[in-house]
Amino acid sequence: MEIIELINVKREFKILNRREGIAGGIKDLFSRDYRYLSAVDDISLKIKKGEIVGYLGPNGAGKSTTIKMMTGILEPTSGKVLVNGKEPYRNRIENAQDIGVVFGQRSQLWWSLPLKESFKVLKEIYQVSDKDYKDMLDLYMSLIDIKNLWDKPVRQMSLGQRTLSDILAAFLHNPSVVYLDEPTIGLDVSMKSKIQEFIKGLNSQKATTIILTTHDMGDVDALCNRIVIIDKGKKLYDDNIENLHKMFGMYRIMKICFSKDVGELDYDSLKDKAAELEKELQENFSGDDMTVSVDEGWIDILMNEEDVSLMEVMNFIQSKQHIYNIKLEEISTEKVIKKIYEGGTIL
Amino acid sequence: MKKYLVLIRTGIMDKLNFRVSLIVTFVGNIIYLITIYFLWKAIYLSSGKETVNGMTFNDTMIYLVLATALFNMMEIFLVWYMGNQVRSGKIVFDLIKPIKFGLYMFFGQLGEVVVNFVVIFLPTVVIVYIVTGGGILAGKNILLFFVAMILAFIINYCINMLVAALCLFTESSWGINIMKEVIVSVLSGKSIPLAFFPNSIKSIVELLPFQAVYNTPLTMLINNNLSVENYVKMFGMQILWLMVLLCGAVWFWKYSLRRVTINGG
Repeated sequence: MEIIELINVKREFKILNRREGIAGGIKDLFSRDYRYLSAVDDISLKIKKGEIVGYLGPNGAGKSTTIKMMTGILEPTSGKVLVNGKEPYRNRIENAQDIGVVFGQRSQLWWSLPLKESFKVLKEIYQVSDKDYKDMLDLYMSLIDIKNLWDKPVRQMSLGQRTLSDILAAFLHNPSVVYLDEPTIGLDVSMKSKIQEFIKGLNSQKATTIILTTHDMGDVDALCNRIVIIDKGKKLYDDNIENLHKMFGMYRIMKICFSKDVGELDYDSLKDKAAELEKELQENFSGDDMTVSVDEGWIDILMNEEDVSLMEVMNFIQSKQHIYNIKLEEISTEKVIKKIYEGGTIL
Repeated sequence: MKKYLVLIRTGIMDKLNFRVSLIVTFVGNIIYLITIYFLWKAIYLSSGKETVNGMTFNDTMIYLVLATALFNMMEIFLVWYMGNQVRSGKIVFDLIKPIKFGLYMFFGQLGEVVVNFVVIFLPTVVIVYIVTGGGILAGKNILLFFVAMILAFIINYCINMLVAALCLFTESSWGINIMKEVIVSVLSGKSIPLAFFPNSIKSIVELLPFQAVYNTPLTMLINNNLSVENYVKMFGMQILWLMVLLCGAVWFWKYSLRRVTINGG
């Protein structure tokens, strides 16, 4: 059953065309010269109960605008958003009862109050029964250690503790959908994986649908079975991660080392070498998207095996220079995503 | 109902966290009161009369001291809060609570006002009572004052809510807030008792909602021999404005939300 459905959703913003300088500023006061920007342009989407969907896109792609429409804060210019069968912007209060939201950069908790007091307030606002409240806390305790957070005022927490607290708060009333907007931003590696584990645990225990926007591919790999990529308001990709990799399966990275000891090469000379190599490769092979970069003493060559043969490239390089070491790597999710962002409508 | 009580409780706890702010308010008030003491002393001296516009120096001072206390009690930082939330984008969190925004804010502010009532207004009334040797009568006026004060608080809240909604459009609260404060403090009789206004202006001001915030409750507290007709007129005015402003605030807030884009992220 679909819990969230977007049907040809569009959202435009009206922006005043501003002029330059003070004189321009004064003219602007009376100006009616607007332009329209489509933040979200004809997006359709269906999300099932219990799914964790990674909602990805470069900065300014329209991710937050979509989330705001799903939470009921913004109304689409045209099209329809359905969450639990209802339009959230027409039933904002009702919808709010059944969703949780975390923004990694802001906290919804009461700044000066200890966490337990914030939770008490949320419990009453969402009208959670004593039993459900206790069950939820028990579940939290079983998944993660929160004892040291309990009596701490939010303003005294570290960023990691605060983010964790915000996630706890978002799940407290057992909502059917939780929107996580860059939940691991600015966190250290161990806190990141702790939070990922915790989110996973909650999702499997409570079958909560989770919409995750992030720029951290670690989050995506750890949590999402499905990803949706948008850019400039348009949907570019909507499928599971494996297919994303398969789609770019022909891409390989060949890592080459020209020296016995990785440490003895300095970055600048490698960089020059990489640039030179890139030029030579592009002259001799047909693949236009062959790129060469430097990675800690290694030279990385990104190539599409549909266009060029790996062996030929290797032979070509070998004929010029002695190769000490060689590695082949599958392309990472991060690199795939980067490719999509930069390629625009590659699909 | 329980969710509203918990909001009041949170407001109280929030307020009590800022002990220093209570002390600063207290000291600031003393300085303000000393200033107006000398100002009005000079006004009465230069007039050469015991009573000006039907009020003695003592009457005026009692009125102004209580007006200041009432102002400090009812002063809510809704506009300031809203400006902040809009700029930082945190307004999102207020809007995704399963509770109407107006009520959500109202009960939070109410908690703070309860604290203010206990730590600012009540002591002031007691001090004035002792210093003036019974300058404030204790009788049915206390009860009537209470009713008028609650109505005044709601009216004041609606005015603030209307101005706060403007923040959604301008994304800056400082200017509008100052403008609101000046208008309210002059036209409500908070800075100058309405008796001192010229008759033509006074008759206009008496029709506006602002005097229902400070002048009405204070008059009821200080004056114990108003006619029934007077009470009916004053309460009638309060209730009328309350309904008008409440509808206005609710409508304008809804309208603004639909028009406005929310910042950030």
